[in-house]
Amino acid sequence: MPENGIPLVRIVLPLRDGGHYHTTAFRAGTRRETLVLRSGRLLTALCALIFAGAGYWRVSAASPQTASVGPIPSTQSSAATALVDRYCITCHNARVRAGGLLLDDASRAPVAANVQAWEKVVRKLRTGMMPPAGMPRPDAATISAVVAALETELDGAANASPPGGPMVHRLNRAEYQNAIRDLLGVEIDGRAMLPGDSSDQGFDNLAEVLSVSPALLDRYLSAARKISRLAVGAQTTPDSATYQLGKNWDQNARMSEELPFGSSGGVAVSHEFPVDGEYTVRVRLQTNIYDYILGLGNRHDMDVRLDGARLQRFTIGGPEHGAPPPVGYAGSIFGDAQWEKYAREADANLEVRFRAKAGRRVVGVSFVKDPSWAAEGIRQPRQIGNSLAQNEKIDEQPGVATVTISGPFKVDASGDQAGRPIFLCRPTAAQEEPCARRILERLARRAYRRPATTEQIETLLSFYRIGRREGRFEAGIQYALERLLCSPEFLFRIERASGSSVRSDDFDLASRLSFFLWSSIPDDELLDLAARGALGDRATLERQVKRMLADRRSSALVENFASQWLVVRNVRDVSPDPDLYAEFNENLRDALRRETELFVDYVIRQDRSVLDFLTADYTFVNERLARHYGIPGVYGSHFRRVTIADPNRRGLLGQGGVLMVTAYPNRTSPVLRGKWLLDNFLGSPPPPPPPDVDTSLQATGEGGRAATVRERLEMHRRNPSCAACHAPMDPLGFALENFDAIGAWRTTDSGKPVDANGALPDGTVLNGPVGLQKFLLAQREQFVTTLTEKLLMYSLGRKVDYRYAPAVRRIRRAAAANDYRWSSIVLGIVESTPFQMRSSGS
Amino acid sequence: MTFITRRRIARRTVLRGLGASLALPLLDGMVPALSAQRAPNRVQRLGVVYVPNGMAMHKWTPITSGAGPEHTAFEFSPTLKALEPFRDKLVVIGGLSVARNAGDTVHARASTRFLTGVPPRENLSDSSGNGIRADISMDQVAARAFAEHTQLASLELGLDANDFAGFCDGGYSCTYTSTISWRGPTTPLPMEYNPRVVFERLFGDGGTTDAAARRARLEKNRSILDSVNAGIARLVRDLGAADRSKLQEYFEAVRDVERRIQKAEEQGDLDLPTLEQPAGIPANYEDHAKLMFDLQVLAYQADLTRVITFMMARELSGRGYPQIGVSDAHHSISHHSNDPSKLEPYSKINAYHVSLFSYYVQKLQATPDGDGSLLDHMALLFGCGMSDGNGHTPRNLPIVLVGGAARGGRYVNHPGEPSLANLHLTLLDRLGTPIEKLGDSDGKLDLLSI
Repeated sequence: MPENGIPLVRIVLPLRDGGHYHTTAFRAGTRRETLVLRSGRLLTALCALIFAGAGYWRVSAASPQTASVGPIPSTQSSAATALVDRYCITCHNARVRAGGLLLDDASRAPVAANVQAWEKVVRKLRTGMMPPAGMPRPDAATISAVVAALETELDGAANASPPGGPMVHRLNRAEYQNAIRDLLGVEIDGRAMLPGDSSDQGFDNLAEVLSVSPALLDRYLSAARKISRLAVGAQTTPDSATYQLGKNWDQNARMSEELPFGSSGGVAVSHEFPVDGEYTVRVRLQTNIYDYILGLGNRHDMDVRLDGARLQRFTIGGPEHGAPPPVGYAGSIFGDAQWEKYAREADANLEVRFRAKAGRRVVGVSFVKDPSWAAEGIRQPRQIGNSLAQNEKIDEQPGVATVTISGPFKVDASGDQAGRPIFLCRPTAAQEEPCARRILERLARRAYRRPATTEQIETLLSFYRIGRREGRFEAGIQYALERLLCSPEFLFRIERASGSSVRSDDFDLASRLSFFLWSSIPDDELLDLAARGALGDRATLERQVKRMLADRRSSALVENFASQWLVVRNVRDVSPDPDLYAEFNENLRDALRRETELFVDYVIRQDRSVLDFLTADYTFVNERLARHYGIPGVYGSHFRRVTIADPNRRGLLGQGGVLMVTAYPNRTSPVLRGKWLLDNFLGSPPPPPPPDVDTSLQATGEGGRAATVRERLEMHRRNPSCAACHAPMDPLGFALENFDAIGAWRTTDSGKPVDANGALPDGTVLNGPVGLQKFLLAQREQFVTTLTEKLLMYSLGRKVDYRYAPAVRRIRRAAAANDYRWSSIVLGIVESTPFQMRSSGS
Repeated sequence: MTFITRRRIARRTVLRGLGASLALPLLDGMVPALSAQRAPNRVQRLGVVYVPNGMAMHKWTPITSGAGPEHTAFEFSPTLKALEPFRDKLVVIGGLSVARNAGDTVHARASTRFLTGVPPRENLSDSSGNGIRADISMDQVAARAFAEHTQLASLELGLDANDFAGFCDGGYSCTYTSTISWRGPTTPLPMEYNPRVVFERLFGDGGTTDAAARRARLEKNRSILDSVNAGIARLVRDLGAADRSKLQEYFEAVRDVERRIQKAEEQGDLDLPTLEQPAGIPANYEDHAKLMFDLQVLAYQADLTRVITFMMARELSGRGYPQIGVSDAHHSISHHSNDPSKLEPYSKINAYHVSLFSYYVQKLQATPDGDGSLLDHMALLFGCGMSDGNGHTPRNLPIVLVGGAARGGRYVNHPGEPSLANLHLTLLDRLGTPIEKLGDSDGKLDLLSI
């Protein structure tokens, strides 16, 4: 059935010669309405009489494309024609125009004349969407052959010049933050300074939706001021930053790689110290809802460290502070007066004053683990609800609630700020302006991503002079830097047009490369190569790509590309129902996030085949996560690579992060999981449900007993109008039903055994996760195509449509020859026409 | 109409060949905030100050002799003593209730019902995973109406760290006890407790309210934008039409911000007391509270907002007040079981909160506004969502209404247990932002005669 058609009536009439007519009428009001009829005048007339009055003869308005497409490619002429005649023109003919597509002899035009329609045909055939469920279909080999032939035609017809696209591309928040880091050596919290960006197609770096509003400009002005002051060391008034650790963290193990071994609880925060001077760290401890501090029954030592060196040790808790209440606080049972006071004031004096040098430093607060009684990880069934909120947990580990870093209080007078990366030179009075010029030239070259023009430098210098008049040398540089950070040349990537399709100039190419692989500005090496015009040389380009992938900045591909492609960016926002998933806490959430990050990072850095995403037998876990997955023998909170023994857990689909963002807070959703696979792995996104559909599922089955998720969906799929879209989608999700809403393995759902089998419309049966992996592996070309499309879109900042298909196929074929390694896909993209060329704006 | 006299003429107006403001249409932005754009006698500010854990009612209730329900001759109770200097500006209101409709009488109820009139919904997960639910609060109803006139629609402040996560009293989410303001049924608003953040939100990152420093800052920003503007023309030349539109957006944004800077520069001539940006959260409670009150007065004075809600402690607070000799946890002693050794410190805490509140009232009264003071043009509500903390009693709530919204010098003890929401309906009406119904309201309170 054509998409979105909701059949109302189906009439099947026998043909004289043994085939059959299908007549299906569709309900008006759906997005596409077509009437399917086998050509035959009598029947046509009959149906016309029946349905004409009801106005069913509307051609879909959603496919504006002219319906005529070309003849079947000559290479496989007879076989392909026979195939189309047999399976396709039932619906796709001149009278019926299903989906607005005609494939019968009535209309002929070369393939090249209607690339868009034929690309669609190829996509539908590859993904198994056509012929639709319930209609006869040819075997896989035949389809492959026809598809291959079509693709060859289409590649030959490909337009030499790439599609025009926006050449004014605003830096998004992540790119802005990284640019500041690489330009000035200052780490800022972009999320605090700038608002979030709009996203489209799942990515927040598409030029079209990155707009500028007055509110955003306001923030840019404000950020420019803050950042420039930080960069020159002008931030001399005290400020404070508070880092908060939520109540839902279990603080009874080593919390971070930056805290010492043998520590328990606490937090390590990375803080930018603006200038050399005196600062304070203040710690407040976790309390219950009545503001009583937790864990004070025994004595604990708490250490505060700066870059690993201990600043001070505090001791809290213990029997000398009074007798606590005999049981957990229940509203009216108290300890003695001394205890009552102490339990609320124990953290009043947890403050340290110390000297620190400017720069990014790690402040670590942690408790010393008392080995005699503490056990790491989850011990007893975790308290939830009211008891968790009320109990003082006297015998347990205390926890850190907030760490507040304030200062500078006494700026070091001698603080020469000489170490600051921005100051290339430190001038004497006579040489100030030449030195300023040098500094600004260098900054502008990096910030504007090409050598600055005289005009641009003069502008910056004029601001320098104003600032210099009102203050010292640093003040001048600071004001000039403020101006620089507000320039459109910094905030936007602007590629200049000159005539029709031309190769991007090297500086533009350097920017494209660095924003693609690092989400940041090009470094000096890239800019030097661009200045020499060397980026046109293939070997040089390849070397640079490999260098950039190996550089630590390529973690941007994990943070920005993968987290959005796989939607795991949402892991930080999901809230599983605390009653159903009592064991879920922040430690698990963090571990799920880290696992996928480390995994994707590994595939990129080790240049693995991207098929590892489907079937890798390794992953990264710590003790908490290993316990969640049932992997034995893993201890400690740090992450390490493990080999997965259970074949069900292989690949991304066995990772809890992915499984969690494709579920609801209180149940799994095969629909969400199926949709995720169709969107992100198979490149055939389903249409949204019709507007008036009720998507909530009844929780009870027959006889009022609880229904499994599968059963609840079964009832909906009995309705044929829903089945149209759900038949290719749900079975993919069913195969993952053994994974619950937070990614743990389960064998029952609502008291009944989980049925993880699904059958796709083409007859393929998926048996559980292993069956799904096999299926995906068999679809590897489509998987790689989809990944390439998404990566290409990310790299260009433009939506990728049918016009890019030949380029994507070329990249895929080249990668296939190279075992589908990550670097070959990246290189393929970098060398592709869309990436290398630009056209004039339309 | 107030004409601009000693203002600097905007550079742009000079360029356009207009020498004086007389020839220009009088734009909103060129009129300073203190001018009579509003009728001077209108009450058009709302303030709410909330204290948790109820009151020792025997020390709260004013001492009366007559029959009532309205008393003009009454004695200020020990708890309310600090407000005595403002007798003519306040009404002590008794007899209001939040008892109607289902729901437990737990702390979550007190804070949630106070401004919304609906009880909190216990955490249930629906398929969207969002179980928290109440309804829009009366301050947000007012904020919506005033939003177009001020920089900030409303301000929500507190003295305790926000902890929306986790369970608190009786299985309710901690969200309910951490806030009294709801923008909508599922949108609780966090109460900002860091004075530095509040300062920045009100006055930008200039670091001070000092007029000269702020002007210098605005001047600097404008220079940057002017310079950027000049450069854009050069860039746009080389681009195609579609790309120009992106830079055009930027250009428009620049002009918009410049316009707003201009407006702000005019307002900058306002005589605000100088306050330097606070470095962070003051270490002791009293300093913290007074600083937050100072910021609220400034916010009203500069007309940056007209709706402010402030929680002096979160509901269910266990804070101790050693500065007044009460080291027990507030919540613990609110469960006094009628034991005098607990009732005494309990009422001391109540009186302390009222005295800090009177500091605020004093400042509001001392700040001129139009032809009166800020207090005259304000409806300021003080109180709690429960009366006796021991039983979490939802009736006869301790409420004081200060300011020009109602005739002062009275204690009104309403018979028949009308809902607190009826008071809100009355106030919203006085503010010029009336609504039909809020929560469990069933009409207005006729405060002028009752």
